[in-house]
Amino acid sequence: MMRGWFLAAAMLLMPCGADGHEIGTTQVHFTLQHDHTWSATITTGPQALANKLEAETGQPRSNNLNADTLRAEITALATVLANHTDVRFDGVGSPVSVSVAQLELPDDITLPSFVVLRASGPMPEHAQAVTWRYGLVYSTYAVVFADEDGGSPVTQWLDGDAMSRPFPIAANVRPATRFEIVAQYLQLGFLHIVPEGLDHILFVLGIFLLTTKLKPILVQVTAFTIAHSVTLGLTMYGIVSLASRVVEPLIALSVAYVAIENMMTSKLTPWRPAVVFGFGLLHGMGFAGVLTELRLPRAEIIPALISFNVGIELAQLTVIAAAFFTVAFWYRDKWWYRARIAVPASAAIAATGLFWTVQRVFWA
Amino acid sequence: MALAAAALLLAGRVQAHDFWIEPSTFHPLPGTAVAVGLRVGQNFVGDPVPRYSASIEQFVIRQGGSEQPISGSDNIDPAGFFRADGQSTAVIAYRSTGSYIELPADKFEDYLRQYGLERIIDLRAGRGERAKPGRERFYRFAKALLTGRQPSAAVAKPLGFTYEIVPEDDPTTRLAPFRGLILYNGKPLADALVMALLRTDSSVQLTARSDKQGAFSFVLPHAGVWLIKSVHMVRAGFFSDADWESLWASLTFEAPETPR
Repeated sequence: MMRGWFLAAAMLLMPCGADGHEIGTTQVHFTLQHDHTWSATITTGPQALANKLEAETGQPRSNNLNADTLRAEITALATVLANHTDVRFDGVGSPVSVSVAQLELPDDITLPSFVVLRASGPMPEHAQAVTWRYGLVYSTYAVVFADEDGGSPVTQWLDGDAMSRPFPIAANVRPATRFEIVAQYLQLGFLHIVPEGLDHILFVLGIFLLTTKLKPILVQVTAFTIAHSVTLGLTMYGIVSLASRVVEPLIALSVAYVAIENMMTSKLTPWRPAVVFGFGLLHGMGFAGVLTELRLPRAEIIPALISFNVGIELAQLTVIAAAFFTVAFWYRDKWWYRARIAVPASAAIAATGLFWTVQRVFWA
Repeated sequence: MALAAAALLLAGRVQAHDFWIEPSTFHPLPGTAVAVGLRVGQNFVGDPVPRYSASIEQFVIRQGGSEQPISGSDNIDPAGFFRADGQSTAVIAYRSTGSYIELPADKFEDYLRQYGLERIIDLRAGRGERAKPGRERFYRFAKALLTGRQPSAAVAKPLGFTYEIVPEDDPTTRLAPFRGLILYNGKPLADALVMALLRTDSSVQLTARSDKQGAFSFVLPHAGVWLIKSVHMVRAGFFSDADWESLWASLTFEAPETPR
């Protein structure tokens, strides 16, 4: 019953992005200890484990073994088990020993059977991080890392024999300060636009090229900022979700739209802020992709989200400032500004946006 | 040395896994309780999969001319329980909701080759996608047959799964050539790779391709518990988060030593 509760609790902790094979009954608790050793308990199905070990060693496949025979067989193949348990400190493998701690094979068919294995080994004194991989599992399973030196337990979902992400060892790693986290995500947000987000840059230039008047630019930038902030937050918390194959072509289309409208008018139409707001909602989902991939710890989400967003704003303002001081500051009062700069530049942006749209729909 | 061995052992693993039903017994007596285990794995060795309602589209037992849902508790293995009628062959059916998985390009192609889906490799090449990770949404369609006192004609009737293995007649009655149909959307599917695995001997792995009528057959060399399986893959719809949809059909049953 305890195993059922553990699995239920682990499933509640499961992030939306924990994709892969079916979740099985295997669970791993990995603990780093004060005495520079580590230990792990692996709970798994005993008959399946015995069959996997038999396959690895070329033995005939057993079936319906009793508890004593299963325990004896698994114990005899403990070195094979150890070979499939891959624990690395800063990328360097640790020796592993494995033993059978408990094996339950109830006669009552309504109760699950399970074996608890205990793996252990030494931990280098100044190791910074540890990774885990277990090769005798086909399903998705949870590994819970805990650190007796004060680190918070962390649950990671692994698909089959995948390697875990590094788990930092609290005693040897100085946690990042709030200031460092903010600076890191500020930079990440900025770089996501300049230079990495060419489609976002062209969209902002499209906003800028409509007119040289300050108010229409401010109205559009404000609408865009509010919209992408909303969807960035909602996407990060899993409240809204749209497949990237839908979002990305629409972002490309948004680039084309603002540029084409620039070629038709230099006035802020009543619908333009609304359209920019709508497209901003899509861009926000695009921004969220990079943060989602980082799989932020919950405690870091709010500061990371805010600083990432501020980084994006600074990048947008940088794009507008660069465009203003490169072109508009010098030529905005010239009679040919619109005909020779705003319209041709918008045409180039529109063509790029349309090309991306087709490319992202058909060849993404 | 041990780590090098581990790296070698871990390197050759298949990235896609079969799914099948493994009941506590394949020949229940009338009135006995049967636990229904779900398994994910390869070569007929599988990890137990607890019940997870959100993943279940259909989980039923057809016996004695009626169909009943299989009950159970979430997050518990075995995934379900029912009381066996035992009079005639019963059919357990499981159909899952879709799950997303992404594999690196090389591992995705390895798995496509292993499951006879070279057609998809060619399609990916034609679309210039061979270097792209394989993004797929997979669906499970598993069936198991429980031996009863009498054979049942219901065994040879399709359940209406999107992808389904349908025996031509009841294979639990005697050790005879296994003949079946592969149906996709209710219609016969040609050129599908079908595999048969024997639980007690991993060296016994039979393969066949379905003909134009979707028919295939195996000469089962031994009595015992068999897994018949096949995978079909199609391009996912535009609004899907994946590029491909894979449909995994399986059928487990026990072929008897002596005819009944």
